[in-house]
Amino acid sequence: MSERDLRLLRCFASVFPELSAEELRAVTNDSAGHWDSLSTVTLAALVQEEFNIEIEPEMIQQLNSFEAFRTHLQKADSDRSSSR
Amino acid sequence: MKLIEALEITRRAATEPVGKTIFLACGFTPLHLSAFLSAELLLRNPTGRPQVKSGVFGDLVGTLERFERQGIDALVVIVEWADIDPRLAVRSLGGWRVSQMHGITSSAHDSIARLQGAIVRASAKVPTVVCMPSLPLPPMFTALQTEASLSEAQLRFAVATLAERLVREPGLRIVNSQYLDDTSPLAERYDLKSDLFSGFPFTLRHASAVGKVLAVLIDPPVRKKGLITDLDDTLWAGIVGDDGIDGISWDLEHKSQMHGLYQQILASLASSGVLIGVASKNDPTTVKSAFERRKLILTENDIFPFEVHWSRKSDSVARILQSWNIAPDSVVFVDDSPMEVAEVQAAFPDMECIVFPTGDDRAIWDLFLHLRRLFGKSAVTEEDRLRAGSIRQGQAWKETENAPSDRADTFLKSAEARITFRTKAAADGRAFELLNKTNQFNLNGKRFTEAEWRNLLEDSGTFLITVSYEDKFGPLGKIAVIIGRTVERQVRVNSWVMSCRAFSRRIEFQCLRHLFDVFKAEEIVFDYEMTPRNTPVREFLATLLSGPPVPGSRLTVHDFSAKAPVLFHLIEEDVHV
Repeated sequence: MSERDLRLLRCFASVFPELSAEELRAVTNDSAGHWDSLSTVTLAALVQEEFNIEIEPEMIQQLNSFEAFRTHLQKADSDRSSSR
Repeated sequence: MKLIEALEITRRAATEPVGKTIFLACGFTPLHLSAFLSAELLLRNPTGRPQVKSGVFGDLVGTLERFERQGIDALVVIVEWADIDPRLAVRSLGGWRVSQMHGITSSAHDSIARLQGAIVRASAKVPTVVCMPSLPLPPMFTALQTEASLSEAQLRFAVATLAERLVREPGLRIVNSQYLDDTSPLAERYDLKSDLFSGFPFTLRHASAVGKVLAVLIDPPVRKKGLITDLDDTLWAGIVGDDGIDGISWDLEHKSQMHGLYQQILASLASSGVLIGVASKNDPTTVKSAFERRKLILTENDIFPFEVHWSRKSDSVARILQSWNIAPDSVVFVDDSPMEVAEVQAAFPDMECIVFPTGDDRAIWDLFLHLRRLFGKSAVTEEDRLRAGSIRQGQAWKETENAPSDRADTFLKSAEARITFRTKAAADGRAFELLNKTNQFNLNGKRFTEAEWRNLLEDSGTFLITVSYEDKFGPLGKIAVIIGRTVERQVRVNSWVMSCRAFSRRIEFQCLRHLFDVFKAEEIVFDYEMTPRNTPVREFLATLLSGPPVPGSRLTVHDFSAKAPVLFHLIEEDVHV
């Protein structure tokens, strides 16, 4: 698992402390009973702070799973690399 | 603190018992502010998991007006511009026309009056902390951004007036905006995107700073009680023994102004009840002359005792602690010599020992800020003003402790002592402070939260007596508090504390006599518990009981009368229990 994925996992673990690492990697807003609008806002804030990126409000609604956040971060990284 | 750290701190404490319950009243969704506040409270008190509750968002005044204290230990009120007029924030489109400015400022006055009433009423129920608007005003004024407009000045004046009125209220603490400015730059406080998207207007950095300052005000640090300072190159610039009395300085002219400011800080601390002592390796006559001939800002009257001789500093510090009768961890030692500081630190590991950074103005300034943190106090009481004087005259009393009883009796009789007993109606912040900071003459070490204290004052089944003392040497002020209940002709003492300044005067005996008399009691039961530091109360009770006290020890009026010494105090009371 990459260092980026580990940091993302830590963000998710602080919002869903009851889930195991395996469960966190598979979590979606449908699968986790506690994933509500507050979780979405908190996850977005955590990821923005942890990875020093900005997530547009309209994008936040689409970030509805661990995998979606992971993909978003990958894209943000590649956008950053190509703009250098 | 980062948000992830705050959440992890809170998560780690999930199995801890519930600590304080905080009601967070604010007009916006508190979101991450709750997380930061919980984490900061946990850092201050790791054994109690705080619960943060909140009210209806968007209606701060309504939330406060409906506030019930049931189960709440502290109330936090976050006031923002939107609570004063929704047009002062971006989530409302009420208009920023020039013609509307007068309406905004006049409605702000009405809102502030209503807010003030609601906060004051709520703060009468539980301890309350208020954070005044900390976000920038939106770009709603027609003046250049660099220029203050009349409307903006009026709004700021109205808010400052609210703070000035609230800060006068007992049990209400206001966040210091200058401190917040230092820790959270204004330009980095507002998160427009978050405000528009989720209704949370603070950046994470600002939420973290606000959460920290709120936690400090909810759970303030224990204040240090005394400061021991060196003289040469510390209280003044120069070595008085080498440079002579006229060669020392503390002013701009001699480029030694920082020493003058240090004296000014110590004089301020002394006036707020902090004990100031001097430990200096010097010739005592020279130092005495320096204080007499030169007009220091910190005067001889502010200092007690002076330990000026050539012995080790740690010996001086030990003697000062004995005079003050306080523990090393309540004292700060300041000296410009790293070697002296190390020597005292080795002798008193629990004491905060600081090297005075002579020659480094910025570092001295930081020391001033640090001293304010260590000795900070919400309000100065009459007892604070009396403390140094009463410790000075306490030396005479200490000498009676080991004197033959007839000589002690003569001294006590000639002291013209008066003791005043008052009921809970007269209980104030001083009584609360005594209960929470007295260690030595403390029946069981029980501490009270502000909420418990308020409940106690309202409980009709509990008596609370405060004890004030005065003699021909001067007043000691309020020096003891007794809390208990009565069942028929039995008094049960739940808490009893007495300031160490009041030892050797037989006041503790008079307190028990008073309980027997006023309640017509046949026996007193003590909720005694041994603590690491309450030896004085243990030794006192042992003189009256048939052995060392235990939880629930009983003292009959017969035993008390047989064992108590002669008491000479004149008694005044307003007790109607």
